[in-house]
Amino acid sequence: MTAAVPVIRQTAALAWRSIVTTIRLPQAWFPALFFPLVLMAIFTASFGGAPGTIPGFPPVRSFLDFAVSGAIIQGVLIGGTSAGAAFATDIEGGFFDRLVASPTSRTSILTGRLGASIALGVGQALLFISVAAIFGARVDGGVLGIFIVVVIASLFAAAVGGLGIFLALRTGSGEAVQGMFPLFFALLFFSSAFFPLDTMVGWYHDVAALNPITYLVESMRREIIGGATIWTALTGIGIALGLALITVGASALALRRRLRVAA
Amino acid sequence: MMKGLAVSLGLAGRNLLLVRRVPSVFIPSLIMPLFILIATSGAFHGIGSLPEFAGASYLAFTIPMAATMGAGFAGINSGMTVARDLEGGFFDRLQSSPAPRVALIMGPMFAALVRSIFTTTIVFIAGLIGGVWLPGLLPLLLIYGFALLFGACASCWAIGVALRARTVQAAPIMQLVVFLSVFMSVAYVPASALHGWLGNVAGLNPVTYILTASRSAELTGSIIWSETWPGLVAGFALLILLGVFALAPLRHLENR
Repeated sequence: MTAAVPVIRQTAALAWRSIVTTIRLPQAWFPALFFPLVLMAIFTASFGGAPGTIPGFPPVRSFLDFAVSGAIIQGVLIGGTSAGAAFATDIEGGFFDRLVASPTSRTSILTGRLGASIALGVGQALLFISVAAIFGARVDGGVLGIFIVVVIASLFAAAVGGLGIFLALRTGSGEAVQGMFPLFFALLFFSSAFFPLDTMVGWYHDVAALNPITYLVESMRREIIGGATIWTALTGIGIALGLALITVGASALALRRRLRVAA
Repeated sequence: MMKGLAVSLGLAGRNLLLVRRVPSVFIPSLIMPLFILIATSGAFHGIGSLPEFAGASYLAFTIPMAATMGAGFAGINSGMTVARDLEGGFFDRLQSSPAPRVALIMGPMFAALVRSIFTTTIVFIAGLIGGVWLPGLLPLLLIYGFALLFGACASCWAIGVALRARTVQAAPIMQLVVFLSVFMSVAYVPASALHGWLGNVAGLNPVTYILTASRSAELTGSIIWSETWPGLVAGFALLILLGVFALAPLRHLENR
């Protein structure tokens, strides 16, 4: 217990530093908020005629309700990429080496950065739901539904943050981490983030059906548009948790390897 | 005049050489139009069953947008090259040479146009693989022409930003405006299917008329003048406006 207290304190301090750094750099937070909101607005205005008209489109009050969960996942992906790039900048700029040379716990180096990613993910989920609500969207699942959406967003933020940290530790280059963004963007498009899976055809449908992002988005979407069950909620939470365990585990191994090489 | 053209072509050749020498910068912009074509036509395939599409293939509907976006990427890259040259001092050396000033803009723009032809061809080949036949020679040339027109506009915009900012860090501004100009038009659905604010914005957006004209050629396989001339007027008006935007800082740079 006594050993855990400094780790928690250091984690909180490093997470706070990451959050403040992100806030101070508009290029770090602006794309993660601006692009999902703009695309949500453009898609809603472009595809507003789809619900109730297109075969395979789920029953929704409006396309905006349908679009919210995709915007959250998109924001988390962009935010996680920026967080990974910021960690790489810490490595490039020598802050990481100074941390390692100090009596800071190794665990808190990871958990601090992950804490900031999770905080950003929670903030994005709440902001996007609020903005959509201003324009008429409703969360069918109520407060519990919002809570489940936020939980999935935070776990997915941990997963993307873990991947960003892993890439930063392996490459030590912010540019290389940012270079992963097109891949994330592709993952998003090859899923049901922006349009229903049942309206896709052929190989594109098959790829989207294999993409875990499809199930994350669908799980969140059910809480918003209706039709959620314990099973849909657990599916989303389980997939996000599984992805987080894999990427955070990989980043912990990458940290150990980097420290061993440095020693 | 001939000297200016020769310098412009020389600079264009140098820019195109950079495609081979710095592939990490340029390859994404060559792949992106292909990605946009596949991702848009795949993800939003279902929207093609709206009555406003009148049974048209959504892949065919997307081809002009992907070609336009590819040309836009080529234009953005010409601005990034100018910004990099400004940071590295190459632009200053060019300015101290007897090369006509306008060639400093025309060179990178010519390179963008050549790359636009390349990306548009890639988009058409991908369309053929997806089962969309070419629309006929004249409509095909018209689609290439509109892609080149938009590529030139994007190039003028990006070079204008580069000459003002003098740093490659201004790239997000170059990209953002080009992206939004395409997305806030009839990129995904026809004008009649747009809802709310986007219908008004798209009506004021010149890219809407460029895309509508290009799409008309692709989908009908013929040139419908009533849909083509608004695209030509909007495109050339935008080019003149952005050409002035790109040329204006040159005089200022000479006094630095």
